[in-house]
Parts: sequence; structure tokens; C-alpha cells
Amino acid sequence: MKKEDTVKLISSDGFEFVVDKEAAMVSQTIRNMLTSPGSFAEREHGQVTFPEISSTILEKICQYFYWHLEFASGKDREFPIEPELTLELMMAANYLHT
Amino acid sequence: MDMYIRIKRDKTTYFIRCKASDKILDIKEKLQELVDKPAKDQRLILPGTGEVLDDSKTLADQKIDTDAVVALTLRKDDNEFEEVNIVRPSDFYQTRDAEGASW
Repeated sequence: MKKEDTVKLISSDGFEFVVDKEAAMVSQTIRNMLTSPGSFAEREHGQVTFPEISSTILEKICQYFYWHLEFASGKDREFPIEPELTLELMMAANYLHT
Repeated sequence: MDMYIRIKRDKTTYFIRCKASDKILDIKEKLQELVDKPAKDQRLILPGTGEVLDDSKTLADQKIDTDAVVALTLRKDDNEFEEVNIVRPSDFYQTRDAEGASW
């Protein structure tokens, strides 16, 4: 895998998640950061920091990105969400337009 | 895409897309550029059992399914491999997970 095809998402507690750009772009917000003209620092360095999203939630979101791609390619698998994560996850998903 | 696995080392997680028929060596080659170390300086380990994964085996052989977590360790300057080190977040949800409490 090539570095330029991936993006590093960094959580509020400093954990790093390296994902395919294609997966990250399931989020409209991240897609805008990575593709809009002009120089978002995010686009130049291939990394995005989320000061308000904890690593537990951010990892769940990355799992969702990949689940979404799997689902789109016809693999039907349930996406598990722990009830205690629901609220925080919804807030993050809202922010990310996911 | 067929599946993905989560490769963890320290505070970093690499989401790697792969197929059940991929060999462990194929996975290491995918990681090569991301971790800046050649395949021979990488070791992949099952975090549950500590089993070191063999380059010639496939993910299916090792019963590694989609969303599985695999630990990565790298060769150090003294030629030895480092210990498995995966940092976990310290928040409430994970603590509960770790203790396996059922309340």
C-alpha cells in the first residue's frame, strides 16, 4: 500500500488510525477536507486531527467506513454497536456527515 | 473488497484491506511503505495467544477473519524483535471491556 493512498486520523487522546483514503471518504466532511481546492493542511500532510473524538469512537468510525465498503460490494454483515457508545457515536457521525 | 484487518502497534492502528487467501507475507508487503520497514523486519502476532504468524500461511489458514486485530512488532537495531506493545485507550468503555465485567 502506498502512503499517498492512505490518510491518518488522529483522536483527541493521540491514537492514530491509518486508513485508505477511499474508506475515509465515506465521511463527507473528510472528503471535503481531502479534495476541496485550496490548501487544507489536512490534504498536504495526509492527516486529520479530531480534538473532540476519543480513540474508542474514532476506531468505531473507521470500522464503519470499511463495513460500508464491504456492504457496498455486496457483503451483508451486521455492524455491531455497543449501547454505551451510541450517543457519542451519533454526535461524531453527525459532525463527519457519515 | 473482501475483508480488512486491524494491525496494531503502540498507539497506531493500520486498517489493511485483504483477502482470506492472502498470505501473511502479502500483508507485510502491504505494510512495508506505511511502517517504513521491509517485510523481513516485521513480525505479525495474534494478540490473544501470542502466536507468531508464519509468512507462508494464509489468513484463512490462521482463521483470521474480517475486523480481526493483529499485533505488529518491528526488528530493533540490535536485530531482536520488540515485544508486543498495544496501547489501549484509558476511557470508561474499554476498562469495562478489559475486566469482562457483566453489569
